[in-house]
Amino acid sequence: MDLLQTLLLRNLGRNPRRSALTVAAVAMPVVILVLSFTIVAQLNRFLDDSAAQLRLAVAHKTSIINPLPYGHKARIAALDPSKRDIIAVVGIAWIGGVLANDREPLTTMGVDADEFPIAFTDHLLTQAERDAWQRDRRALIVGRSTAAKMGWKVGDRVTIRASVPPYSEFSFNVISTAPQAIDPVANWCHLSYIFEERARSGLPESSVDLVSFLFVKCAGRAALERYRVEIDRLFENTPDETQTQDEKAFLNQFISQQFDLPTNLTLLALITIAVAVLAAANTMNMSFRDRIGETATLRALGFSARFGALLSLTESVLLCGIGGALGVLAPLLAFGYTPIGDVQIPLIVRLEIGPGVCAAALAMALAIGVIAGAWPALQGGRLRVIDALRSLE
Amino acid sequence: MTLPLYYNWRNLFVRKLTTLLTVAVIAVVVAALIVLLSFGSGMKRSVGGSGHPANLLVLNAGATAESTSLIWPEDARLLVQTPGAAVGPDGQPLVSLEIVVQTDVRRLRDGSSANVAVRGVDDAALAVHDQVRIHGRIFRQGAREAMVGRAAQSLYRGLNIGDRIALGRSRSHEYEIVGVFEAAGSAFESEIWAPRTMIADSYQRRFDSSAVIRLLDPGRIDEAAAYVNGPAVRLKAASEPEYYSQLSDQSQQVVYLVLGLVIIMAAGAVFAVANTMYAAVDGRRREIAMLRTLGFSRVAIVAAFLIEAAMIATMACGLGIAASLPFSGMRRDFLSPVTHSVTGFEIVITPGICLAALVAAILVGIVGAAAPAARAARTPIVRALRRG
Repeated sequence: MDLLQTLLLRNLGRNPRRSALTVAAVAMPVVILVLSFTIVAQLNRFLDDSAAQLRLAVAHKTSIINPLPYGHKARIAALDPSKRDIIAVVGIAWIGGVLANDREPLTTMGVDADEFPIAFTDHLLTQAERDAWQRDRRALIVGRSTAAKMGWKVGDRVTIRASVPPYSEFSFNVISTAPQAIDPVANWCHLSYIFEERARSGLPESSVDLVSFLFVKCAGRAALERYRVEIDRLFENTPDETQTQDEKAFLNQFISQQFDLPTNLTLLALITIAVAVLAAANTMNMSFRDRIGETATLRALGFSARFGALLSLTESVLLCGIGGALGVLAPLLAFGYTPIGDVQIPLIVRLEIGPGVCAAALAMALAIGVIAGAWPALQGGRLRVIDALRSLE
Repeated sequence: MTLPLYYNWRNLFVRKLTTLLTVAVIAVVVAALIVLLSFGSGMKRSVGGSGHPANLLVLNAGATAESTSLIWPEDARLLVQTPGAAVGPDGQPLVSLEIVVQTDVRRLRDGSSANVAVRGVDDAALAVHDQVRIHGRIFRQGAREAMVGRAAQSLYRGLNIGDRIALGRSRSHEYEIVGVFEAAGSAFESEIWAPRTMIADSYQRRFDSSAVIRLLDPGRIDEAAAYVNGPAVRLKAASEPEYYSQLSDQSQQVVYLVLGLVIIMAAGAVFAVANTMYAAVDGRRREIAMLRTLGFSRVAIVAAFLIEAAMIATMACGLGIAASLPFSGMRRDFLSPVTHSVTGFEIVITPGICLAALVAAILVGIVGAAAPAARAARTPIVRALRRG
């Protein structure tokens, strides 16, 4: 072991309480980094995965909750009779839903049964699931988070009461919990079942064949861009004008309007880093001051200014590194192996801490160490040996 | 015998950099806490504070929000017989039938689109929602005129008196904005109000969304609700405040999430304070021993260090409040996951929130200083004096 290492370990052990407190003061902010980075990363991944699906979302121009006539579907499909660019058009009717005696709102949507497996390939339904979906008009594909939360599994029969007219009770058979689907929350059922229920309940005829949105699966990026414009043009100056966006933009408007969590959490993470830097710098500064005499002695013995600086810096980086490791490990264990993992996080539901986020947080912790150690390292370099030694007595 | 405060104050300046850094750590936590709390309370006030305790809000039995509720005219007619309903100047029960629809507007801030609620109301609405104060004038029934809530006016484009806004299912009907209204900071201020018949026509709606019944006595709300929920009407009634507090609960989740993170941040600050105070204790061992020799008790020593930490915390709190002040008065809006329309709110840093932040800061200071102060009290006098 060379001298640097020896001194480093000695220094860390010299004031174990201070070292421990520093580690803790850095670990806490790193926990915040990990949690907020994870939420932001999960939201971004959700949006990017959605973008990769090459789907357009067509909504009513007046308002996202104004319904569209189902007839729009055929007119959009007719834009490309060859089906080379527009692979499928799916009508989606949002019925929300709640369980009996429960206030927790669900996200349930009726979709065109034939086109859904073609347009929403991210669900990766097995052949058996596809068959069950086609066979049973009461089939329900449940989002994996919703399934976990409600304790639903394939084969269950669930009754969901729609939150929109006619507010009927729909009785569904769970045929899949879509473990691969990008959207972990939404439940999907047959649109025809909803239409039938509306007609049966005596809603006026004009209120039966309505959908909330139409999703258009395109063959490629070029087709996506082209039809994004063309669909809106098609319905220009009709009573039901449309606003067509790619799926990412469409979903992002819901996310960004709910307090813009990605931006605000990133902001909080940055503030947190500042706190950690201040706390760590404080410790490093105190330790440096306590050891001024020693540093001066080393210098007097012929060790270079760089040696002292390196000593300060490595100590700081090491402490923050340990703090960082603990800060990463704590949420990883808490959310992976304890009941905390079942806590529902707004928008993303379930926190899934990835290796990328851990690496980023750890890198941040080391960077905090470098910044916190820089000042004492610099001070050490500028130390006037004679004065320091004189003040030793 | 206690030590003079002056002693503590002077001690803070012995190690200026350390004190400054500690103050900064707590100040950042305080600022984050204040902004978050005022964010949450602004939001809560805008939604949760809506509604009058004597108002009964009636929705379709299956609906979870006004925007997805539907009340048929024949059911609406039954509501005038609600027991305990107040009577208006025209001798009719105070029942306000309302249509809630939406329109897309652009935010002033960045031009992004926001789904704003449009409420079609009759004159009865003003009697029922008596917190509404109008600047300009109210719309005339039968005219395509509208008035906008103060929050909506300040957040979105083209909503000033004299502006024209296109409403309706295909946005083909222009309404002239003739008034701006306040509603005691409630969710109504984020809406556009227009005559019910005109909105029904423009949005091609043959049914209402909700009804609000003003009762004579808020204490008899259960009786009225029982009538509405019962077999005669079969709709769903809740007191207006209850409905809105339920709505705001669902929007508060994000605030709780961030609050959790700020608490972790505060825990980090506790460790930072402990470190500083330990250093202060270690650096003053001889001094502490001296004070003990002079006759100051252990309690006085503990108190001295706690007071010192509280001083640091108070300074930090002052800085934190100053840093968060620029956020005060900021207006934002959020999309309710239940109604799918936006509600504006104002971030107001109130004395109450500052007080809460001060308590939190002092708590951080005291908790952080507790162990070091106890250690100071245990300083062995003779040895400390001898060694120096």
